[in-house]
Amino acid sequence: MDFGIAGRTALISDDDFGRALRRALEPEGVTITHELGDGVDIVVAHDSAPSGREVLAVQSAKQLDAAWDVVVDTIGAYRAALPAMAYRGWGRFVWVGTAAAKALDADDDEVGALTSMAVMALNKVIAAEAGPANVTANAVLRGGPATEDDVAAAVAFLCSEGAGYLTGVTITIDGGVGSAMY
Amino acid sequence: MDYGLQGKVAVVSGASRGIGKAIAATLASEGASVMLAARTASDLDDAAAEVDALGDGRVETMAADMTNPAEVELVVAAARARLGAVSIAVSNVIGHVIDVAKEGEGPGAGNFASMPAEEYRREFHHLLVSAWALAHAVLPDMRASRWGRICNIGSGVAREPATNLPHVLPNVVRPAVAGLYRMMANRLAGEGVTVNNILTGSILTARNLSYWEWLANERGSTFEEVTAGFHSQIPLRRQGQPAEMAALVAFLCSEAAGRITGQSIPVDGGISRHL
Repeated sequence: MDFGIAGRTALISDDDFGRALRRALEPEGVTITHELGDGVDIVVAHDSAPSGREVLAVQSAKQLDAAWDVVVDTIGAYRAALPAMAYRGWGRFVWVGTAAAKALDADDDEVGALTSMAVMALNKVIAAEAGPANVTANAVLRGGPATEDDVAAAVAFLCSEGAGYLTGVTITIDGGVGSAMY
Repeated sequence: MDYGLQGKVAVVSGASRGIGKAIAATLASEGASVMLAARTASDLDDAAAEVDALGDGRVETMAADMTNPAEVELVVAAARARLGAVSIAVSNVIGHVIDVAKEGEGPGAGNFASMPAEEYRREFHHLLVSAWALAHAVLPDMRASRWGRICNIGSGVAREPATNLPHVLPNVVRPAVAGLYRMMANRLAGEGVTVNNILTGSILTARNLSYWEWLANERGSTFEEVTAGFHSQIPLRRQGQPAEMAALVAFLCSEAAGRITGQSIPVDGGISRHL
Protein backbone atom coordinates (compact mmCIF):
# COMPACT_ATOMS: atom_id res chain seq x y z
CA MET A 1 0.00 0.00 0.00
CA ASP A 2 1.35 3.40 -0.96
CA PHE A 3 0.52 5.70 1.94
CA GLY A 4 0.84 8.75 -0.32
CA ILE A 5 2.92 10.73 2.13
CA ALA A 6 6.30 10.78 0.35
CA GLY A 7 7.90 14.16 0.88
CA ARG A 8 6.03 14.86 4.13
CA THR A 9 7.95 15.72 7.29
CA ALA A 10 7.12 14.07 10.63
CA LEU A 11 8.06 15.30 14.10
CA ILE A 12 8.53 12.22 16.27
CA SER A 13 10.23 11.39 19.55
CA ASP A 14 13.87 10.34 19.74
CA ASP A 15 13.42 7.15 21.76
CA ASP A 16 12.59 3.46 21.30
CA PHE A 17 9.10 4.17 20.06
CA GLY A 18 10.41 6.93 17.78
CA ARG A 19 12.81 4.43 16.24
CA ALA A 20 9.97 1.97 15.59
CA LEU A 21 7.99 4.76 13.98
CA ARG A 22 10.98 5.80 11.89
CA ARG A 23 11.14 2.23 10.56
CA ALA A 24 7.49 2.53 9.51
CA LEU A 25 7.59 6.03 8.04
CA GLU A 26 10.96 6.30 6.28
CA PRO A 27 10.15 3.60 3.69
CA GLU A 28 7.10 5.76 2.80
CA GLY A 29 9.42 8.60 1.88
CA VAL A 30 8.71 10.62 5.02
CA THR A 31 11.45 12.89 6.38
CA ILE A 32 11.95 12.48 10.12
CA THR A 33 12.73 15.37 12.45
CA HIS A 34 12.96 15.80 16.20
CA GLU A 35 12.74 19.59 16.03
CA LEU A 36 9.57 21.60 15.61
CA GLY A 37 9.68 23.75 12.48
CA ASP A 38 7.39 25.30 9.89
CA GLY A 39 7.83 22.37 7.53
CA VAL A 40 6.27 19.80 9.88
CA ASP A 41 3.25 18.01 8.34
CA ILE A 42 2.89 15.25 10.93
CA VAL A 43 3.26 15.42 14.71
CA VAL A 44 3.28 12.20 16.73
CA ALA A 45 3.30 12.56 20.52
CA HIS A 46 3.15 9.89 23.17
CA ASP A 47 2.52 9.57 26.87
CA SER A 48 5.21 9.56 29.55
CA ALA A 49 6.78 6.45 30.99
CA PRO A 50 4.22 4.71 33.25
CA SER A 51 3.85 6.45 36.60
CA GLY A 52 3.38 3.11 38.30
CA ARG A 53 0.73 4.84 40.35
CA GLU A 54 -2.86 3.91 41.18
CA VAL A 55 -5.13 6.91 41.71
CA LEU A 56 -5.57 6.04 45.39
CA ALA A 57 -1.80 6.08 45.84
CA VAL A 58 -1.54 9.73 44.78
CA GLN A 59 -0.45 11.74 47.80
CA SER A 60 0.02 15.24 46.40
CA ALA A 61 -1.08 17.59 43.67
CA LYS A 62 2.57 17.66 42.60
CA GLN A 63 2.32 14.03 41.52
CA LEU A 64 -0.76 14.82 39.42
CA ASP A 65 0.97 17.86 37.94
CA ALA A 66 3.94 15.76 36.88
CA ALA A 67 1.60 13.44 35.00
CA TRP A 68 -0.14 16.41 33.37
CA ASP A 69 3.13 17.85 31.97
CA VAL A 70 2.89 15.67 28.88
CA VAL A 71 -0.57 17.03 28.06
CA VAL A 72 0.61 20.62 28.27
CA ASP A 73 3.73 19.82 26.23
CA THR A 74 1.70 18.01 23.57
CA ILE A 75 -0.76 20.87 23.29
CA GLY A 76 2.18 23.28 22.97
CA ALA A 77 3.67 21.26 20.11
CA TYR A 78 0.32 20.83 18.35
CA ARG A 79 -0.45 24.54 18.59
CA ALA A 80 2.97 25.47 17.25
CA ALA A 81 2.58 23.14 14.26
CA LEU A 82 -1.05 23.87 13.35
CA PRO A 83 -0.81 27.28 11.60
CA ALA A 84 1.66 26.05 8.95
CA MET A 85 -0.35 22.83 8.46
CA ALA A 86 -3.54 24.84 8.01
CA TYR A 87 -1.78 27.17 5.57
CA ARG A 88 -0.68 24.20 3.46
CA GLY A 89 -4.07 22.49 3.85
CA TRP A 90 -2.70 19.18 5.18
CA GLY A 91 -1.74 17.90 8.59
CA ARG A 92 -1.78 14.87 10.89
CA PHE A 93 -1.67 14.74 14.68
CA VAL A 94 -1.40 11.32 16.30
CA TRP A 95 -1.26 10.65 20.03
CA VAL A 96 -0.02 7.31 21.37
CA GLY A 97 -1.33 6.42 24.81
CA THR A 98 -2.50 3.56 26.96
CA ALA A 99 -5.52 1.33 26.33
CA ALA A 100 -6.38 1.89 29.99
CA ALA A 101 -7.79 5.26 28.88
CA LYS A 102 -10.75 3.35 27.43
CA ALA A 103 -11.01 0.31 29.66
CA LEU A 104 -9.97 2.16 32.86
CA ASP A 105 -8.51 -1.11 34.06
CA ALA A 106 -4.84 -0.18 34.41
CA ASP A 107 -3.05 -2.41 36.86
CA ASP A 108 -0.52 0.15 37.94
CA ASP A 109 -0.68 3.24 35.74
CA GLU A 110 -4.11 4.72 36.39
CA VAL A 111 -2.63 8.21 36.50
CA GLY A 112 -1.26 7.72 32.97
CA ALA A 113 -4.74 6.84 31.70
CA LEU A 114 -5.98 10.30 32.68
CA THR A 115 -3.61 12.01 30.26
CA SER A 116 -4.77 9.91 27.32
CA MET A 117 -8.43 10.62 28.15
CA ALA A 118 -7.64 14.32 27.96
CA VAL A 119 -5.85 14.04 24.61
CA MET A 120 -8.64 11.89 23.15
CA ALA A 121 -11.03 14.72 24.01
CA LEU A 122 -8.56 17.26 22.63
CA ASN A 123 -8.63 15.31 19.35
CA LYS A 124 -12.39 15.86 19.11
CA VAL A 125 -11.86 19.61 19.51
CA ILE A 126 -9.08 19.72 16.93
CA ALA A 127 -11.18 17.55 14.61
CA ALA A 128 -13.93 20.18 14.71
CA GLU A 129 -11.64 23.20 14.48
CA ALA A 130 -8.97 22.03 12.06
CA GLY A 131 -11.03 19.62 9.94
CA PRO A 132 -11.92 22.36 7.43
CA ALA A 133 -8.16 22.88 6.89
CA ASN A 134 -7.72 19.14 6.19
CA VAL A 135 -5.85 18.56 9.44
CA THR A 136 -6.76 15.41 11.39
CA ALA A 137 -6.15 14.45 15.03
CA ASN A 138 -6.35 10.83 16.17
CA ALA A 139 -5.06 8.46 18.83
CA VAL A 140 -3.61 4.99 19.04
CA LEU A 141 -3.90 3.22 22.40
CA ARG A 142 -1.56 0.36 23.15
CA GLY A 143 -2.33 -2.45 25.52
CA GLY A 144 -1.83 -6.13 26.14
CA PRO A 145 0.96 -7.69 24.13
CA ALA A 146 1.22 -4.94 21.48
CA THR A 147 4.78 -4.32 20.30
CA GLU A 148 6.17 -0.94 19.35
CA ASP A 149 6.17 -2.05 15.70
CA ASP A 150 2.45 -2.98 15.96
CA VAL A 151 1.68 0.47 17.31
CA ALA A 152 3.95 2.25 14.82
CA ALA A 153 2.14 0.54 11.93
CA ALA A 154 -1.21 1.94 13.11
CA VAL A 155 0.28 5.39 13.63
CA ALA A 156 1.77 5.32 10.12
CA PHE A 157 -1.64 4.36 8.71
CA LEU A 158 -3.28 7.31 10.49
CA CYS A 159 -0.65 9.57 8.91
CA SER A 160 -1.46 8.24 5.44
CA GLU A 161 -3.44 9.95 2.69
CA GLY A 162 -6.00 7.14 2.85
CA ALA A 163 -6.77 7.89 6.50
CA GLY A 164 -7.80 11.44 5.59
CA TYR A 165 -11.45 10.93 6.57
CA LEU A 166 -10.60 9.65 10.05
CA THR A 167 -10.42 12.39 12.64
CA GLY A 168 -11.19 12.53 16.34
CA VAL A 169 -11.00 8.73 16.47
CA THR A 170 -9.09 6.28 18.62
CA ILE A 171 -7.72 2.90 17.55
CA THR A 172 -6.80 0.39 20.25
CA ILE A 173 -3.92 -2.00 19.51
CA ASP A 174 -4.05 -4.63 22.24
CA GLY A 175 -4.27 -8.03 20.60
CA GLY A 176 -7.95 -8.15 21.56
CA VAL A 177 -7.47 -8.36 25.31
CA GLY A 178 -9.43 -5.19 26.17
CA SER A 179 -13.06 -5.40 27.23
CA ALA A 180 -14.27 -1.89 26.33
CA MET A 181 -16.73 -1.96 23.40
CA TYR A 182 -16.46 1.77 22.66
CA MET B 1 -38.34 7.09 50.39
CA ASP B 2 -36.10 7.30 53.41
CA TYR B 3 -32.62 7.96 52.06
CA GLY B 4 -31.05 7.01 55.37
CA LEU B 5 -29.04 10.21 55.62
CA GLN B 6 -30.08 11.15 59.17
CA GLY B 7 -26.93 11.91 61.12
CA LYS B 8 -24.57 11.59 58.14
CA VAL B 9 -21.96 14.31 57.72
CA ALA B 10 -21.50 15.86 54.26
CA VAL B 11 -18.95 18.27 52.82
CA VAL B 12 -20.08 20.26 49.77
CA SER B 13 -17.78 22.58 47.84
CA GLY B 14 -18.98 25.54 45.79
CA ALA B 15 -21.86 25.54 48.27
CA SER B 16 -22.60 29.25 48.58
CA ARG B 17 -24.86 29.45 45.55
CA GLY B 18 -26.32 27.68 42.55
CA ILE B 19 -25.92 23.94 42.24
CA GLY B 20 -23.74 23.53 45.34
CA LYS B 21 -26.21 25.35 47.55
CA ALA B 22 -29.10 23.29 46.20
CA ILE B 23 -27.19 20.07 46.97
CA ALA B 24 -26.40 21.23 50.50
CA ALA B 25 -30.08 22.12 50.98
CA THR B 26 -31.34 18.77 49.74
CA LEU B 27 -28.87 16.79 51.87
CA ALA B 28 -29.83 18.91 54.90
CA SER B 29 -33.52 18.34 54.33
CA GLU B 30 -32.81 14.58 54.36
CA GLY B 31 -31.31 14.99 57.80
CA ALA B 32 -27.59 15.22 57.04
CA SER B 33 -25.28 17.69 58.76
CA VAL B 34 -23.49 19.74 56.14
CA MET B 35 -20.22 21.66 55.90
CA LEU B 36 -20.59 24.31 53.22
CA ALA B 37 -17.32 25.44 51.63
CA ALA B 38 -16.81 28.19 49.08
CA ARG B 39 -14.51 31.14 48.51
CA THR B 40 -16.70 34.00 49.75
CA ALA B 41 -17.57 34.10 53.46
CA SER B 42 -20.50 36.51 53.14
CA ASP B 43 -22.23 34.37 50.48
CA LEU B 44 -21.66 31.32 52.66
CA ASP B 45 -23.40 32.90 55.63
CA ASP B 46 -26.51 33.61 53.55
CA ALA B 47 -26.51 30.10 52.12
CA ALA B 48 -26.02 28.52 55.55
CA ALA B 49 -29.03 30.39 56.94
CA GLU B 50 -31.20 29.01 54.11
CA VAL B 51 -29.86 25.47 54.44
CA ASP B 52 -30.05 25.43 58.22
CA ALA B 53 -33.79 26.09 58.15
CA LEU B 54 -34.42 22.88 56.20
CA GLY B 55 -33.45 19.99 58.45
CA ASP B 56 -32.51 18.65 61.84
CA GLY B 57 -28.82 18.32 61.05
CA ARG B 58 -26.28 20.99 61.83
CA VAL B 59 -24.79 23.36 59.27
CA GLU B 60 -21.26 24.75 59.33
CA THR B 61 -19.36 26.91 56.86
CA MET B 62 -15.76 27.57 55.97
CA ALA B 63 -14.38 30.01 53.41
CA ALA B 64 -11.72 28.21 51.38
CA ASP B 65 -10.23 27.82 47.94
CA MET B 66 -11.22 24.24 47.14
CA THR B 67 -8.69 24.04 44.30
CA ASN B 68 -5.93 24.19 46.91
CA PRO B 69 -5.40 20.74 48.51
CA ALA B 70 -4.07 22.25 51.76
CA GLU B 71 -7.27 24.27 52.21
CA VAL B 72 -9.41 21.26 51.32
CA GLU B 73 -7.69 19.35 54.14
CA LEU B 74 -8.55 22.19 56.53
CA VAL B 75 -12.21 22.15 55.49
CA VAL B 76 -12.51 18.41 55.98
CA ALA B 77 -10.70 18.58 59.34
CA ALA B 78 -13.11 21.32 60.44
CA ALA B 79 -16.12 19.26 59.33
CA ARG B 80 -14.82 16.27 61.26
CA ALA B 81 -14.14 18.34 64.38
CA ARG B 82 -17.44 20.24 64.39
CA LEU B 83 -19.87 17.70 62.89
CA GLY B 84 -18.26 14.26 63.07
CA ALA B 85 -16.64 11.76 60.72
CA VAL B 86 -17.37 12.65 57.09
CA SER B 87 -19.35 10.15 55.03
CA ILE B 88 -20.54 12.24 52.05
CA ALA B 89 -18.44 14.52 49.84
CA VAL B 90 -19.63 16.50 46.83
CA SER B 91 -16.94 18.13 44.72
CA ASN B 92 -18.43 21.08 42.90
CA VAL B 93 -15.74 23.33 41.44
CA ILE B 94 -16.19 24.95 38.05
CA GLY B 95 -13.41 25.68 35.59
CA HIS B 96 -11.29 28.74 36.00
CA VAL B 97 -12.47 32.05 34.68
CA ILE B 98 -9.72 33.76 32.74
CA ASP B 99 -11.22 37.21 32.44
CA VAL B 100 -14.61 38.04 33.97
CA ALA B 101 -14.80 41.34 32.11
CA LYS B 102 -14.27 39.61 28.79
CA GLU B 103 -16.14 36.38 29.17
CA GLY B 104 -18.51 36.68 32.09
CA GLU B 105 -18.40 33.90 34.65
CA GLY B 106 -18.45 31.06 32.18
CA PRO B 107 -15.70 28.53 31.65
CA GLY B 108 -12.43 29.99 30.39
CA ALA B 109 -13.42 30.80 26.84
CA GLY B 110 -11.42 29.92 23.81
CA ASN B 111 -10.80 27.37 21.12
CA PHE B 112 -7.79 25.19 20.49
CA ALA B 113 -6.09 27.69 18.21
CA SER B 114 -6.39 30.58 20.67
CA MET B 115 -5.85 28.95 24.08
CA PRO B 116 -2.27 28.99 25.49
CA ALA B 117 -1.06 25.55 26.60
CA GLU B 118 -0.44 26.65 30.19
CA GLU B 119 -4.15 27.47 30.69
CA TYR B 120 -4.78 23.72 30.53
CA ARG B 121 -2.72 23.36 33.68
CA ARG B 122 -4.79 25.93 35.55
CA GLU B 123 -7.95 24.18 34.41
CA PHE B 124 -6.47 20.87 35.56
CA HIS B 125 -6.04 22.34 39.05
CA HIS B 126 -9.58 23.71 39.11
CA LEU B 127 -11.31 20.58 37.91
CA LEU B 128 -9.16 17.53 38.53
CA VAL B 129 -6.89 18.43 41.43
CA SER B 130 -9.88 19.82 43.37
CA ALA B 131 -11.87 16.61 42.85
CA TRP B 132 -8.88 14.47 43.81
CA ALA B 133 -8.10 16.60 46.88
CA LEU B 134 -11.61 16.35 48.33
CA ALA B 135 -11.79 12.58 47.81
CA HIS B 136 -8.28 12.15 49.24
CA ALA B 137 -9.17 14.19 52.34
CA VAL B 138 -12.43 12.38 53.14
CA LEU B 139 -11.40 8.81 52.33
CA PRO B 140 -9.79 7.98 55.70
CA ASP B 141 -13.14 8.59 57.48
CA MET B 142 -15.10 6.66 54.86
CA ARG B 143 -12.75 3.69 54.77
CA ALA B 144 -12.72 3.52 58.56
CA SER B 145 -16.53 3.32 58.70
CA ARG B 146 -16.83 1.30 55.46
CA TRP B 147 -19.49 3.72 54.25
CA GLY B 148 -18.98 6.64 51.94
CA ARG B 149 -20.53 8.56 49.05
CA ILE B 150 -18.38 10.73 46.80
CA CYS B 151 -19.89 12.69 43.90
CA ASN B 152 -18.29 15.03 41.43
CA ILE B 153 -20.32 17.71 39.70
CA GLY B 154 -18.84 17.24 36.26
CA SER B 155 -20.12 18.22 32.86
CA GLY B 156 -21.66 16.60 29.83
CA VAL B 157 -18.50 17.52 27.93
CA ALA B 158 -16.73 14.74 29.85
CA ARG B 159 -18.42 12.36 27.42
CA GLU B 160 -19.21 14.56 24.46
CA PRO B 161 -16.88 17.54 23.95
CA ALA B 162 -18.91 20.68 23.16
CA THR B 163 -17.05 21.60 20.00
CA ASN B 164 -19.76 24.11 19.06
CA LEU B 165 -18.88 26.28 22.08
CA PRO B 166 -15.55 27.90 23.03
CA HIS B 167 -15.05 25.32 25.77
CA VAL B 168 -11.70 23.82 24.89
CA LEU B 169 -10.51 23.81 28.53
CA PRO B 170 -13.38 21.82 30.09
CA ASN B 171 -13.62 19.74 26.90
CA VAL B 172 -10.09 18.49 27.49
CA VAL B 173 -9.98 18.25 31.29
CA ARG B 174 -13.47 17.00 32.25
CA PRO B 175 -13.00 13.52 30.72
CA ALA B 176 -9.90 13.03 32.87
CA VAL B 177 -11.93 13.87 36.00
CA ALA B 178 -14.56 11.31 35.00
CA GLY B 179 -11.76 8.79 34.53
CA LEU B 180 -10.21 9.62 37.89
CA TYR B 181 -13.49 9.01 39.72
CA ARG B 182 -14.20 5.87 37.72
CA MET B 183 -10.85 4.39 38.69
CA MET B 184 -11.30 5.44 42.32
CA ALA B 185 -14.69 3.70 42.24
CA ASN B 186 -13.07 0.51 40.94
CA ARG B 187 -10.54 0.52 43.76
CA LEU B 188 -13.05 1.36 46.51
CA ALA B 189 -15.89 -0.91 45.48
CA GLY B 190 -15.13 -3.48 48.16
CA GLU B 191 -15.05 -0.93 50.95
CA GLY B 192 -18.58 0.44 50.95
CA VAL B 193 -17.55 3.68 49.29
CA THR B 194 -19.24 4.73 46.04
CA VAL B 195 -17.80 7.31 43.64
CA ASN B 196 -19.94 8.83 40.91
CA ASN B 197 -19.87 11.72 38.47
CA ILE B 198 -22.71 13.93 37.27
CA LEU B 199 -22.71 15.02 33.63
CA THR B 200 -24.27 18.44 34.08
CA GLY B 201 -26.22 19.99 31.23
CA SER B 202 -27.51 23.55 31.08
CA ILE B 203 -28.72 24.35 34.60
CA LEU B 204 -30.32 27.67 35.45
CA THR B 205 -27.86 29.41 37.79
CA ALA B 206 -26.60 32.97 38.04
CA ARG B 207 -23.34 31.84 36.52
CA ASN B 208 -25.11 30.11 33.66
CA LEU B 209 -27.11 33.28 32.87
CA SER B 210 -23.91 35.29 32.93
CA TYR B 211 -22.40 32.86 30.45
CA TRP B 212 -25.27 33.14 27.96
CA GLU B 213 -25.12 36.93 28.21
CA TRP B 214 -21.43 36.82 27.41
CA LEU B 215 -21.94 34.42 24.50
CA ALA B 216 -24.74 36.58 23.03
CA ASN B 217 -22.45 39.59 23.20
CA GLU B 218 -19.59 37.62 21.68
CA ARG B 219 -21.78 36.52 18.76
CA GLY B 220 -23.40 39.91 18.25
CA SER B 221 -26.74 38.33 19.12
CA THR B 222 -29.25 38.74 21.95
CA PHE B 223 -29.58 36.70 25.11
CA GLU B 224 -33.04 35.56 24.00
CA GLU B 225 -31.83 34.43 20.57
CA VAL B 226 -28.84 32.54 21.91
CA THR B 227 -30.74 30.78 24.68
CA ALA B 228 -33.76 30.02 22.48
CA GLY B 229 -31.44 28.52 19.88
CA PHE B 230 -29.75 26.36 22.48
CA HIS B 231 -32.85 25.35 24.40
CA SER B 232 -34.66 24.28 21.25
CA GLN B 233 -32.07 21.50 21.01
CA ILE B 234 -32.90 20.17 24.49
CA PRO B 235 -35.56 17.44 24.24
CA LEU B 236 -37.27 18.74 27.39
CA ARG B 237 -37.18 22.28 25.90
CA ARG B 238 -35.97 23.95 29.07
CA GLN B 239 -32.97 24.35 31.29
CA GLY B 240 -32.69 22.31 34.45
CA GLN B 241 -33.07 23.70 37.94
CA PRO B 242 -30.34 23.39 40.58
CA ALA B 243 -32.77 21.34 42.67
CA GLU B 244 -32.92 18.80 39.84
CA MET B 245 -29.16 18.34 40.08
CA ALA B 246 -29.48 18.01 43.84
CA ALA B 247 -32.19 15.38 43.45
CA LEU B 248 -29.83 12.98 41.67
CA VAL B 249 -26.91 13.73 43.98
CA ALA B 250 -29.01 13.08 47.09
CA PHE B 251 -30.27 9.81 45.60
CA LEU B 252 -26.70 8.70 44.82
CA CYS B 253 -25.79 9.51 48.44
CA SER B 254 -28.65 7.45 49.77
CA GLU B 255 -28.51 4.04 51.40
CA ALA B 256 -30.57 2.67 48.49
CA ALA B 257 -27.96 3.70 45.89
CA GLY B 258 -25.16 1.78 47.58
CA ARG B 259 -24.56 -0.44 44.56
CA ILE B 260 -24.31 2.41 42.06
CA THR B 261 -20.67 3.31 41.61
CA GLY B 262 -18.24 4.42 38.94
CA GLN B 263 -21.04 5.96 36.90
CA SER B 264 -21.28 9.19 34.93
CA ILE B 265 -24.95 10.16 34.81
CA PRO B 266 -26.35 13.10 32.82
CA VAL B 267 -28.80 15.65 34.20
CA ASP B 268 -29.28 17.46 30.91
CA GLY B 269 -32.89 17.35 29.71
CA GLY B 270 -31.92 14.66 27.22
CA ILE B 271 -29.50 16.68 25.08
CA SER B 272 -26.63 14.20 25.14
CA ARG B 273 -26.67 11.66 22.32
CA HIS B 274 -24.64 8.78 23.65
CA LEU B 275 -26.30 5.52 24.63
